[in-house]
Amino acid sequence: MITVKRLQAHPLKHSRRGDGLTAWLFVAPILLGILIFAVYPIVFSLYASFTRWNLINPPVWNGLENYITLFTKDPTFPLTIQNTLLFALCTVLIGAFLSLLLALLMNIKCTGQNFFRALIFAPIIVPTAAAALTWSWLYEPSSAGIINAGLKLFGIGPVPWLNNTHFALWAIIIEAIWAQLGFNAVIYLAGLQSIPTEYYEAAEIDGANTVNKFIHITLPGISPITFFVLVTSIINAIQIFDIPWVMTQGGPSNATQMIVMYLYVNAFRLQRMGLASAMGYIVFIAIMIITFINFRLSKMWVFYEETI
Amino acid sequence: MNKPLSRREFLKTSLAVSGAALLAACAPKGMPGTSAPATKAPAAAGAKKLVFSTYIFQDFQTAMDKVIDGWIATKPAGSVTVERQYTDGPTYWDKLQTQIAAGTPPDCGISDYGRLVSYAKDGTLLSLTDRIKSSNFPLDKFIPGALAQYRWKKGDFDTGAPDGDYFGLPGDAQSQIFAYNKTMFDAAGVSYPTDDWTWDDLRAAAIKLTDPSKNQYGFYMDPEAEMFLRQIFIAAAGGSIYSPDSKSSGLALPGTTEALTWFWNLIWKDKAAMPPYSKPTDQPFAQKKVAMTVEGVWWIADFDKGVGTGAWDVALLPKHPKTGKRTTSVESDGWWVFEGSKEPDLAWDLVQYLAGPTGQKIFSGLNYIIPSCIPTVATDWYAQKPPDHRSKILDNLNMDSAKIAFTGYEVATVENVYGPILLKPFFDGSDLTQALKDAGDAVNSELTTAWADYNK
Repeated sequence: MITVKRLQAHPLKHSRRGDGLTAWLFVAPILLGILIFAVYPIVFSLYASFTRWNLINPPVWNGLENYITLFTKDPTFPLTIQNTLLFALCTVLIGAFLSLLLALLMNIKCTGQNFFRALIFAPIIVPTAAAALTWSWLYEPSSAGIINAGLKLFGIGPVPWLNNTHFALWAIIIEAIWAQLGFNAVIYLAGLQSIPTEYYEAAEIDGANTVNKFIHITLPGISPITFFVLVTSIINAIQIFDIPWVMTQGGPSNATQMIVMYLYVNAFRLQRMGLASAMGYIVFIAIMIITFINFRLSKMWVFYEETI
Repeated sequence: MNKPLSRREFLKTSLAVSGAALLAACAPKGMPGTSAPATKAPAAAGAKKLVFSTYIFQDFQTAMDKVIDGWIATKPAGSVTVERQYTDGPTYWDKLQTQIAAGTPPDCGISDYGRLVSYAKDGTLLSLTDRIKSSNFPLDKFIPGALAQYRWKKGDFDTGAPDGDYFGLPGDAQSQIFAYNKTMFDAAGVSYPTDDWTWDDLRAAAIKLTDPSKNQYGFYMDPEAEMFLRQIFIAAAGGSIYSPDSKSSGLALPGTTEALTWFWNLIWKDKAAMPPYSKPTDQPFAQKKVAMTVEGVWWIADFDKGVGTGAWDVALLPKHPKTGKRTTSVESDGWWVFEGSKEPDLAWDLVQYLAGPTGQKIFSGLNYIIPSCIPTVATDWYAQKPPDHRSKILDNLNMDSAKIAFTGYEVATVENVYGPILLKPFFDGSDLTQALKDAGDAVNSELTTAWADYNK
């Protein structure tokens, strides 16, 4: 029998060889699944990105041609990068700002506080595709669309939200911000409530006003939350597919075509699997770089509790 | 007291149970412990099996089942079984691609004229020419444009070669209809379209029928689906998107430019045509927002439901004022046999039944939404009402129809590049002349790449 004293001294050194084998056997099934269904496709996709492959014929090695084509010959890919970056920038920055605003409001004690919190969180539980479809109807250019009906009261419109190359992307950005507001607001709320009240009391004693407290206590206090929201929002925004696919399918005239949608079109409509795989890896590398930069920059503006 | 299970014993028992479960799951069908595959009828010993694959939508599955059952009934009882692989439309081609890549395609199935060149070139499809000749299949009964999209000669970039092999057979005739809302015409005091109508008459009527106060337009047509893919109006004006040898752009041809400019003017100068929707599934004619439209024949049921029986009708496509042409495109779902089929003769037997007069009569009897491409079989379909003048659709087909243009090698890839460039001015009223030039450059560039791929 292994004594507690021996375990505390050298828990691994004195374990039996069979224990290690037992552990591997228990994790083997899930590990096998991960290797087959996750690791293998990722590695094969890297290989496919250097080939011409239409699923019917075997892949043919063509080196960097897919990557060169995407950046120099394909007229649509640069447009998808532009659309995706604009979408990401707007949804992340505006979304984070509005989420914080909502969280500040939700943090105020008032009658019906729980009701308002539930209302703000409600969009999260609506399936994304259903919400996107509903927004398509809201954006209807005729008076059947509620948004245009409302604008008509102010003598504006009708605005061809989803049918005009100038408005379509903004229409999708608005919907995407709405869809994520509640989730990020709840996360911010948790962050706001974790800031010790003693800091605010001490600041009041020193004569700080509301703005001073917000800038010097609240913002640094929730900086880890802001960092989390920014990182996750950027990753989600760059990989956006469902909302624009349901609302416009990339139209009109590629005005709302995003990278992942274009990847899907190339893979499953045009059977250009090699090109699609190359796009996938470009997105992967882009996300890695952006996330790395975020983490490096976070040292300058993210303050954890022990450092405040 | 019971002895507790040791860790080793528990591990051995778990592995044994997992291994047994794995063996059971991977065992060939028919072994003890597995369930037999579901079939429509029990297979007799020695019964030949055919795997048939198609996408389904609306009531197509009911129609397919009936026709296939009709074919099985022509065989000795129990001598053949058909495994029907039905897949929802949007995912069908993904699934088929995967099956082909895995080397397990079905024996036969529904065809796609847009993929025929790629599949035939790669040796995925079985040539049916010899079998057609030996069984005296009645090709002369078919609409020529429907047959053309299934003929391909090795080395050709597009289908339609008069001496090409047949890699499939057409089943239906999907042409375009020119529909008009009688109620709106009556309210505006405009006479209904006649057989002599030209583009100028259409334009004049559209202007009179447009009423901004009611958000009502005189005309609507999806530019991408109708002009770029089916080349309605472009073909009538003597133009085309590609040059005849498919090596360069046809966007600078006078007929192409004329047709596209005419339609752009109708939208943005005359303001008499509704600008396109970014989601083509919204059909404004069915929603009673426009007085006239050009759409596919499969919209008849939806138009009747949306506009109301008796409140709408169809006419011949207006003709070009100079050429006098009113070209409608013919596209056909059909049937093909895969090269890897283990039962090619049986598969051909089913395909010729489906595409031939017997199978087509069963489809017609089911009042399926699309008529047969054998006009003599489809007579009853075209004689039906609504709309009152449904026979005009067949008249137009017989007068002036052409194989759908969307059939060249990698045509979808090329369109994916030039399409958005050329669509933009129709969406937002921007300069069409520049878009024609830019789209033309895109077509030339993409065709060069497509030809390079073709010749590899």
